Amino acid sequence: MLKSKQWLGLILAAITASSASARSYDDIIESNSIIISVYRDFKPFSSLDKQGHPQGIDIDIAQAIADKLKVKLSFQWMTADESVEDDLRNNLWKGHSLQRKIADLMLRVPYDRQYTQLRDDIGERVHDRVHMFAPYHTESWQIIFNSQKIEKIETMALFQYHSIGVEIDTVPDFYLTSAFNGRMRNHTHHFPTVELAIAAMKFSQVDAVMGLRSQVTASQWMLSDQFKLAKNAFPTLGKQQWDIGMAVKDEYRQLGYAVGDIIGQLVKSGKIKSIFTKHHTFYQQPQYYSDE
Amino acid sequence: MNNVSKVKLLKLSVMVALALSATANANVTDKDISNDQMTTDDVVSYGLGLRGQRYSPLTMINDKTVSELRPVWGFSLGGEKQRGQESQPLVKDGVMYITGSYSRVYAIDAMTGDELWQYDARLPDGIMPCCDVINRGVALYDNLVIFATLDSKLVALNKDTGKVVWKKKVEDYKAGYSITAAPIVVKGKVITGVAGGEFGIVGKVRAYDALTGSIVWERPTVEGHMGYVWENGKKIEAGISGGAPGKTWPGDLWKSGGAAPWLGGTYDKDVDLLFFGTGNPAPWNSHLRPGDNYFSSSRLAINPDNGKIVWHFQTTPHDGWDYDGVNELVSFDYKVNGKTIKAAATADRNGFFYVLNRENGDFIRGFPFVDKITWAKGLDDKGRPIFDDANRPGNPASSKDGKKGSTVVSAPSFLGGKNWMPMAYSKDTELFYVPSNEWEMSIWNEPTAYKKGAAYLGAGFTIKAINDDYIGVLRAIDPKTGKEVWRYKNYAPLWGGVLTTAGNLVFMGNPEGYLMAFDAKTGEIKYKFNTGSGVIGSPITWTMGGEQYISVLSGWGGAVPLWGGEVAKRVKNFNQGGMVWTFKLPK
Repeated sequence: MLKSKQWLGLILAAITASSASARSYDDIIESNSIIISVYRDFKPFSSLDKQGHPQGIDIDIAQAIADKLKVKLSFQWMTADESVEDDLRNNLWKGHSLQRKIADLMLRVPYDRQYTQLRDDIGERVHDRVHMFAPYHTESWQIIFNSQKIEKIETMALFQYHSIGVEIDTVPDFYLTSAFNGRMRNHTHHFPTVELAIAAMKFSQVDAVMGLRSQVTASQWMLSDQFKLAKNAFPTLGKQQWDIGMAVKDEYRQLGYAVGDIIGQLVKSGKIKSIFTKHHTFYQQPQYYSDE
Repeated sequence: MNNVSKVKLLKLSVMVALALSATANANVTDKDISNDQMTTDDVVSYGLGLRGQRYSPLTMINDKTVSELRPVWGFSLGGEKQRGQESQPLVKDGVMYITGSYSRVYAIDAMTGDELWQYDARLPDGIMPCCDVINRGVALYDNLVIFATLDSKLVALNKDTGKVVWKKKVEDYKAGYSITAAPIVVKGKVITGVAGGEFGIVGKVRAYDALTGSIVWERPTVEGHMGYVWENGKKIEAGISGGAPGKTWPGDLWKSGGAAPWLGGTYDKDVDLLFFGTGNPAPWNSHLRPGDNYFSSSRLAINPDNGKIVWHFQTTPHDGWDYDGVNELVSFDYKVNGKTIKAAATADRNGFFYVLNRENGDFIRGFPFVDKITWAKGLDDKGRPIFDDANRPGNPASSKDGKKGSTVVSAPSFLGGKNWMPMAYSKDTELFYVPSNEWEMSIWNEPTAYKKGAAYLGAGFTIKAINDDYIGVLRAIDPKTGKEVWRYKNYAPLWGGVLTTAGNLVFMGNPEGYLMAFDAKTGEIKYKFNTGSGVIGSPITWTMGGEQYISVLSGWGGAVPLWGGEVAKRVKNFNQGGMVWTFKLPK
């Protein structure tokens, strides 16, 4: 239980955070608290366990950041909007029209130069209100399959004959329903989440599942050995892998630099990898740290 | 719930109302709703009558007297929650019932503007309504004020106290559902659709017992889903929409086909049918779902007793432009060679105006009501669009080099030749008054996109005005010929409803903040009043104490300010607000 004084601190922090400006590094250190935005119900990254405690990879990384800054941590839970651009607006620089709450730091933001520099139709930078930094892992797509139904997956051609589950409105969904002139379309089954698609595979309703590599690998350890990870390529898929980092409001770059240094240390010391391993999730270190 | 009850004021208002009318404080009956259009001392339904004609036979305020119109009271919705106000007020026994942004309801003394009670729905954290936190109004039945919330619940309040009588979860907001439309009451049942632009939902129309909130029937609007009726509390299968799954959808995409009937519906007692429009199909990328994708972007005629789909008319088959088919279908009769045609008309997002036979859904005629349409070359003799394939947005999945795809320009834009804002029909002039917009959109594939930390294939788009000096156009349209009789041009896009009266008048507000009255025959502006914030609500008129009143909500917001590009520039200096304005002639 928090003591009343600490409650007051949190309330003050929330008031400061919800005013027009987010908070500077100095404000965060002075108030002894940081608010970090993570996605709601998003295993293995951020969710609540049965007791209502936050759990997951992003939760542990957020805690590691707060520990290094020596401040108390609270979470702002994000409901995903239609795109990360909306999430940045709703949670970092403007606030959603219903709550108007702003976090100091948002996790699971792409680290992609092309994305950072994106311009809109009138030539303005789309993301000029935020600073994106500190890649902490590299994400990709992955197929998992039932080896009692499919011997091995050499190419995507198999899915002209075998059923495959995907999460609705994701790149795997678009890919399987449209690539190769839609020849895999009729074998594609749609599910609200990757988790439900994998559950369907377990009960032999689909022969395979394609989804986010982190989510697929995090599910695999609970399954029996007959469910294997495929090693096939995804021809014509476009972006095959991308880096995940974090973001702060543009005027709080000082916070960004401080957190960037912390993440650099955590990646190089193997701490980030150990967090992924703890959550049974495949880890790939971003290229960013390889050159140094 | 934060329920502000002002009992003393209420008593006062009841006394005033009693003094005014012999029928004061009576409960709303099916007959009241059924006769709403012709009874001028109340407004007890969305649309001023369930046909949705938005026509009043009142003539005290007319083309000669309207210039003398004066505001008599203003009512602030208060708080910091000044977002779009799209509500149409209802009035019964001297009390006005409105909804405000953020799922709030107010009862107001219609004579003085005093608040009688206020109900604030407690909205859960994490709801994500797509297009502002608006609501379009309440329904009245018996002693209940019934409205729907952003977290997809129906709530019935006691009309005198504002206390909750019953509350029903229509759908799970966590799955992406929401409700913003005004419900309607038909034969003792509250009928509502659901909203939910997010991918993965299935549109449904539902009927509930208005007195108890018990569900009566449910009708999915996507082919392949089972409908149900409830008899003595038992859920009974009532037939699959469209007969069977997968006839007009590939793979299992029918399971999540969208087609949300989010704007509610109308009803005509002559043919005893409900008319609901349905939203665009999901996913948004049409290349993933070859086929007509029933019953997306359609008008459905539904039996009010059991939810059966009696006929359907699809305005945009295989929609690739986000042309929701939700716009209201307004029933009206006209005569050809002495024979009465039972017709219904709708002005679609896609830029075409359709006149249908409302008994069977047959296409009578259709014609463009906007100046520029690029997605189709016209309509065939069944009313089906003749697509221009060059102007269908591309397939994002086919952009392999990670670059933007080619840009397609489509007119109208996805916000439509006409959006949600209801049109009006005058039986005197036999014209429809259609609030429309001239805008187009550029759409391109956007491979540098992310969703929830995952790479994504998005579509980039921007909406542009077609003309420098106006976007909005209020049009007077003859449904028998397709001829435009007059037009009024407005710099900003129009986003509010229209009202017409037997006083040869058409009322409409604009985002610039004016409530305006036009000569119904010529379009000449006869009156305008600046309400202080953009008007996107729908005006009403009624009589009280022998005088005719006009009311409208003012409060800028809605979907227009949410979209960037050039259109946003036109509206970015409009101030937000939240007021009811009420007008009458001086004595």
